[in-house]
Amino acid sequence: VVTALETAVRAAIGGVADPEMPAVSVADLGMVVDVRVLEASGRDGARVEVDLVATFSGCPATAMIRSDVTAAVLGVEGVAEGDVRFVRHVVWTPARISERAHDKLRAFGIAPPGATALPVVGVGVAVVTCPLCGSSDTVTDSPFGPTPCRSTHYCRDCQNPFEAIKH
Amino acid sequence: MTAVSTGAAPAGESEIDPRLALVLALGDDELVIGHRHSQWTGVAPHLEEDLALSSIAQDEIGHAVLWYSIAAGVAGTDPDTLGLGRPAGAYRHAILLERENRDWAYSLARHYLYDTADDVRLRALAASDWGEVAEATGALLREERYHLMHARAWLTRLADGPIDARQRLADGLAEALRDALGLFEPLPGEPELVASGVLPAGHDELLQRWLDGISADLERVGLERVLESGTSPPSGELVATASGEMAGAAALVHPHVVHSGGVWAPVGEFSGRGGRYGRHGEDWLPLWEEMTATYREHPGARW
Repeated sequence: VVTALETAVRAAIGGVADPEMPAVSVADLGMVVDVRVLEASGRDGARVEVDLVATFSGCPATAMIRSDVTAAVLGVEGVAEGDVRFVRHVVWTPARISERAHDKLRAFGIAPPGATALPVVGVGVAVVTCPLCGSSDTVTDSPFGPTPCRSTHYCRDCQNPFEAIKH
Repeated sequence: MTAVSTGAAPAGESEIDPRLALVLALGDDELVIGHRHSQWTGVAPHLEEDLALSSIAQDEIGHAVLWYSIAAGVAGTDPDTLGLGRPAGAYRHAILLERENRDWAYSLARHYLYDTADDVRLRALAASDWGEVAEATGALLREERYHLMHARAWLTRLADGPIDARQRLADGLAEALRDALGLFEPLPGEPELVASGVLPAGHDELLQRWLDGISADLERVGLERVLESGTSPPSGELVATASGEMAGAAALVHPHVVHSGGVWAPVGEFSGRGGRYGRHGEDWLPLWEEMTATYREHPGARW
């Protein structure tokens, strides 16, 4: 049974935007592994434990995400304590990204991960669909983009560079 | 350069928990190569490579933090203190990783040799009986694929010429191979680590797996002879960073690699002491000073 408090906590976490791709939430990206609301743990309110998984372990935004999620949890009425941590027993993959987040990413100009193989350095293998025009006539420019989780591509149809979420 | 007293004798063999020696070696390798890669930021040959090396550097330093967080649990401290708060002689990375970047070809050759070796040990550690370590390899192996892909692509690209690029690559590989076997230097307490299942394969087995992999790559581009020329008996250039308990110990001597019976295999044994015991080369102290300068100048600073 999901309590009203737990629903409120989950909604608050769901509202935390990714610092580097604010069009999507950290929950949309599949970074939330587990939420535990321990209602009877204290006199002043519940204790909430949140397990997160980083998209890439070297991601410099993890400290910010942790503090944003902690603030969101503590902002819920009835919560006295928040313990947010990154765990390693789960490996993040793009399969964790929700379907509805795919559309939000495209609207933001970033291609969701393609269904096919890895991008290959310096070799023009089409792996992702252009988020701007929908063409699949694209080439991988580099698997190393502006953040650890994004690669860079070029669309030969609309002749725009774009980014994609890495596998 | 101003001399700095590190207050450090090399880590030596004194009573380190073998499990700590393992995760510190892993973390220090990643931190130091990450720092070297980051020195290409802004000056790489072109923009994509500037981003690539910067991104790989960021990954490696993130991986170092991960290993340090496991090490911190054993040592009863925190990851920052382990990463930046130790004296120079307490770092346990392989000497290969502290070497200056030299030229682009050397940097890529080292990147290739290191990331292939890292891949071999991560695959082995995936079966470790130390749960935290085995768990960590999941994310690391996934992320390191991109590093391997990058390194192999450059190996092929430079080997394909023009001739100057191929020659520089061959020189860079030979130069890096002089130190690369040090990645497989037996860890302090290795027999215990293997017996307890923490390290599912010892250094000799890992070294052979690595040689099998890189010799196949090098044969594909016709550069396999560097395995022999690069690892032929060492010149004894290692310099200890500090006196102390290590003063009497010989520098690391590693096996050399020969082609025999259709396989590339090591001949000889490791002797003396190298990076895994805190004994480093002349490029280490300046790098350590740069890496830890802010931390040492502003103890306990937060930002």
